[in-house]
Amino acid sequence: MPYIEFKNVNKIYEMGEIKINALNDTNFQIEKGELVVIVGPSGAGKTTALNILGGMDTATSGRVIVDGKEVTKLKNKELIGYRRNDIGFVFQFYNLVQNLTARENVELATQICKDSLDPEEVLEKVGLKDRMNNFPSQLSGGEQQRVAIARAIAKNPKLLLCDEPTGALDYKTGKQILKLLQDTARKENMTVLIITHNGALAPMADKVIHFKNGTAEKIEINENPKPVEEIEW
Amino acid sequence: MKKALMKDNIKEIKNTYKRFLSILLMAFLGVGFFAGIRATSPDMVDTIDKYYDSQNVYDIQVMSTLGLTQDDINEISKIENVDKVIGTYETDGKVEIDNSEEIVKVMCTEDINKPQLLEGKLPENTSECVVEPNFLTQTGKKIGDTIEVQIEDTENDDGEEIPYLVNNEMKIVGTVRSALYISRDRGTSTLGSGKINYYMYINKDNINAKDVYTNIYVKVKDSEKLETSSDEYKELISNTKSKIEEIKDEREQARQNELIDNATTKLEDAEKEYNDKKQEAEDEIAKAEKEIEDGKKQIEDGEKEIADNEEKANKEFADAEKKIADAKEEISKNEDTLNQEEAGANEQFQSLEQQKSALESKLDTVNSALDTANQTYNGILAALNNPNIDAGSLESLQGQKTACEAQIANLEANKNTLIAGITEIENGITSGKQKIEDGKNQIEAAKKEIEEQEKEYNKTKSSTIAQIQAAKDKLEASKKEIASGEEELTKQKEEVNKQLSDAEAELIDARDKIAKIEKPTWYVLDREQNAGYASFIQDTESIKNLGQVFPIVFFIVATLISLTSMTRMVEEQRTQIGILKALGYNKFQIASKYVMYASLASVIGGILGMCVGFILLPKIIWLMYSMMYQIGDVSLQFNWKFGTMGLGLIFVCIVGATIYALTRELRETPAILMRPKAPKIGKRVLLERIPFIWKRLSFSSKVTIRNIFRYKKRFLMTIIGILGCTALILTGFGLKDSISRIMPDQYEHVFNYDLQISLKDGLEESQIERLKNNLEQKDEIIKVIETYMTTETAVKNGVEEDVQIIVPEDKNSLDGVINIVDLDTKEKLILNDNEICLTDKVAQLLGVKAGDTITLQDSDGNQTEVTISNVVENYVYHYVYMSKELYENLYNKEYESNVLLAQDNDLSEEQEDSLAKDLMGYDEISSVSLISTAIRSLDETMQSLNYVVVVLIVSAGLLAFVVLYNLSNVNISERIRELATIKVLGFYDKEVYDYVARETTILTVIGIVLGLVAGYFLNYYILGTCEINMLRFNRTIEPLSYVYSALITIAFTLIVNFVTYFALKKIDMIESLKSVE
Repeated sequence: MPYIEFKNVNKIYEMGEIKINALNDTNFQIEKGELVVIVGPSGAGKTTALNILGGMDTATSGRVIVDGKEVTKLKNKELIGYRRNDIGFVFQFYNLVQNLTARENVELATQICKDSLDPEEVLEKVGLKDRMNNFPSQLSGGEQQRVAIARAIAKNPKLLLCDEPTGALDYKTGKQILKLLQDTARKENMTVLIITHNGALAPMADKVIHFKNGTAEKIEINENPKPVEEIEW
Repeated sequence: MKKALMKDNIKEIKNTYKRFLSILLMAFLGVGFFAGIRATSPDMVDTIDKYYDSQNVYDIQVMSTLGLTQDDINEISKIENVDKVIGTYETDGKVEIDNSEEIVKVMCTEDINKPQLLEGKLPENTSECVVEPNFLTQTGKKIGDTIEVQIEDTENDDGEEIPYLVNNEMKIVGTVRSALYISRDRGTSTLGSGKINYYMYINKDNINAKDVYTNIYVKVKDSEKLETSSDEYKELISNTKSKIEEIKDEREQARQNELIDNATTKLEDAEKEYNDKKQEAEDEIAKAEKEIEDGKKQIEDGEKEIADNEEKANKEFADAEKKIADAKEEISKNEDTLNQEEAGANEQFQSLEQQKSALESKLDTVNSALDTANQTYNGILAALNNPNIDAGSLESLQGQKTACEAQIANLEANKNTLIAGITEIENGITSGKQKIEDGKNQIEAAKKEIEEQEKEYNKTKSSTIAQIQAAKDKLEASKKEIASGEEELTKQKEEVNKQLSDAEAELIDARDKIAKIEKPTWYVLDREQNAGYASFIQDTESIKNLGQVFPIVFFIVATLISLTSMTRMVEEQRTQIGILKALGYNKFQIASKYVMYASLASVIGGILGMCVGFILLPKIIWLMYSMMYQIGDVSLQFNWKFGTMGLGLIFVCIVGATIYALTRELRETPAILMRPKAPKIGKRVLLERIPFIWKRLSFSSKVTIRNIFRYKKRFLMTIIGILGCTALILTGFGLKDSISRIMPDQYEHVFNYDLQISLKDGLEESQIERLKNNLEQKDEIIKVIETYMTTETAVKNGVEEDVQIIVPEDKNSLDGVINIVDLDTKEKLILNDNEICLTDKVAQLLGVKAGDTITLQDSDGNQTEVTISNVVENYVYHYVYMSKELYENLYNKEYESNVLLAQDNDLSEEQEDSLAKDLMGYDEISSVSLISTAIRSLDETMQSLNYVVVVLIVSAGLLAFVVLYNLSNVNISERIRELATIKVLGFYDKEVYDYVARETTILTVIGIVLGLVAGYFLNYYILGTCEINMLRFNRTIEPLSYVYSALITIAFTLIVNFVTYFALKKIDMIESLKSVE
């Protein structure tokens, strides 16, 4: 049984008269500890899929199973609990709380989790030992994203979901971030999902899911994923 | 393109209706309060203005210490601008009802100061009157009942005392409301307790003492066209007033001269009369003296005459007695002679009797011879007659017969001779006896006569003696009379002398009086000096002041709300603004959307606010004041001035805030605008520099504290909103507390008596003492003290206030019944003998403190200067306390109690009523008033204050709600990404809510604490501005009110938080995370 399973998942947005099929009978599976990259053009449904997987949105129909738990059947409160304990989320725009220092942003997450990691250690891991007490505005974009990643992994989640984590970063910084994610997946044996529209990143993943027109059109498995450093785009 | 903007605008309103409504509501509250409260004062002034115009109330009033005359009226009429001058009569009288004495102001129905008829009709003749409605309700009299008004006689210009009224008994024919007494204060009087209880109107014809007017009322030309108490009105009146004051001196002089002339003429007459009388009296005395002299002389004469008469009478008596004796002697002599003669005669009679007997025997013999002869003769005759007789026998017989007849004749002759002899003897005896009898008779007659004479004499003698005695008696009486006459005369002389000296003293007095006729003083007064009017106008001022503070709170909050809302709106639409700018719209076109948005909200809200405010607030405020003033209904009007002013202000505040929010954004280039705005930078707060504390704080507390300091504007806004809300609510409660404490403060703390018993005038000290003892022996009564109370006017620095003077009979007995407590030291005081204690509020009004002096002026204008020893606590009305000794010194009068104050034994209402009834049965008591009744009736009227509290709480609640709701909206929309993030992080709804609400809670707590402080001061200020002259509000707020205010504010906060909770729950994580817009 796969660790994560999307079974015939549909998501229909109703905007008044118009219905938009954001997800259309999507099916894919992910194993524990896999680094997965989801690629596809804008509007292909990758974010929708991620949101449903992350418990931020609900599917119109179909089943999503994570570690034996059927997410699609969870009630609102259970869904929050799921987000809280099982999911780590990294946003394109970092979404740090501006009013909190790097460490506090991490603490914001850890204080509500059951088996959270020590915020300082995590920040050390992401290379921000010296910037722990800085406010987001005092950090560069890459640093901010590192804080965001630290915040996500400090929760010790089952699943790390990253929505265009490099979208707002320059090439070099983006690469560093991706490296961090790849390292995290490897070292912590964490299941990591990265959404990107940049197909060039595909080689770094264990599994690549291609999205098109609201469905997982193609699933590739990389037998030999490349380290990020070796990928150029 | 403008159309497009307009459409966009309408859509915008639809989409953000909450924001629009909150701005609209702020405009509504701001304008409503501003316009409403501001309009109340003019509405009230307008009400009294219309009322005064319709009742034709005077503009200027003239009074004089010595009355006013027709000449005065004529002179005033000549003054420029004077429209109408009316002289009238006003005085105070007493009406006795059920043993209770009521002091009434008696006025005449005139064309000026027309009383407003409420029921029945106005008095049309001398036996009708109208009273105020209170009179009927409080005394139980009805229309149609008759009352008797006792008014002291007045002195006319000739110095005679004449009754004031033609008719003292009048029927009540209606009830009226007087424009001169719109407040409950009826002024002071020299009668009774010194306080006038009611007013009444009578027909002018019922005035008997018409010589001088008591009041002259002046109507100034065109004054009714100006609003009373407006500056124009005041100027017009003061111009005319000063012109009247110009002739004041002259008129006063004229009146003095008139009185002096009058009195001098009278004095001269009196002097003449005195002299005449004196002369007359002296003449009369002389005459009386002479009469007495004459009388004495007459008595002397009479005595002499009586003596003479007596002597003469005695002599006459002796003569008469002698004569009688003589006559008696002669009579007895004659009697003796007669007796002798009688004896002689009796002897003769015996011989005559013998002769007679001899003759009679002879006669017998003759008679028998005759008988024999006759028989013989008869035998012859018989024989003759025998027919057988022979002629010779016949002849013999015939011869025998003739012989017999001759014999008979012979015998007959003898007989006759004998009879003649006897008759002669008998006659002789008879005549002899007759003679003697006659003699005897004569003597008897003489005796009788002499007896008669003697009797006569005795009678005469006794009558003469009686006469003399009578004369003597009479003389004696005359003597006595003269003596008493003499005595009388002495007395009369003394009396006349006394009368004369009295009269002389009177003349001297009169002369003195003339010398002392002072120049009268004219008082030229305007409406401001009418107590009711003045306090009404003052109250309108208070409300005006109130209108200057209250709305400020709303305006500030409205401005801040609009500022935050509009800033947020502009920020939200930053990109859109950038696009419009990029498309080539200019600043004004872009701004016009937001300005339009704000304008619409403020204008719609403002107009709605005006409509409600102009009606609701004046009505409510009027409701409060209607318990103190009797004018009628408030005249509401749409006050354009305050309407547009309020609208303008709110417009400036809201639109100004909008423009301020816009200018920063509009300055930026489109490129910058289209990029998301850099989020607010996080900062360390000061507290973090104190690791000792900071480290101990929980993570969430740290976050909260940082957040609070991060959004300073919102922080400030929330606090101001909550503060305003709490302060307003606390003010509402505080007002209620203060006002509801007036009664207990006054009637439990200051005055602690239950019954005020007024005594009738002119009681002896011993009577009062006895009554007091009687009362004290009653089970229901604990303590009774004697006081003297009167009402005077306290004057200082041109301010006049009526005060009640209380003089305890024993200053040491006052404690516990009236507590005189120093305002500052809170120490209980005992009156001293040189200074007075003055109550707090009047001290403030007069601007005096302990150690200062004030002037006390009675209703006749007599002034007394006194020094204040202490300013003392008091809450209702004004009092001056002075000791008996000081009173006697100041007024040169002997102290005389007129009021007893009694404490009862915690009686129930019924028990007190029956006690009062019982007391009214005492002859010495004129009225009994129960303090509990007074408290109860006032308490009822105080109930209407709850409206104020409700209005304040509702408006405060609205304010709090709008502020908090708006802020919470802004807060959420500003921090939506942050909130979405923490939601993604797995915060439960409750945790998300706490994350936000913790800040609100802390700010609310700060706001409440500050609000309670601010409320304390606001309450203090508002009480100060709306305090009525007669009252002192206790400015302490009950602890419970603080609690209530805090709780109500918390309740409002909770409602808003409840709404926030759902708003937070609805936040869509995905939408907010997509991108920064």
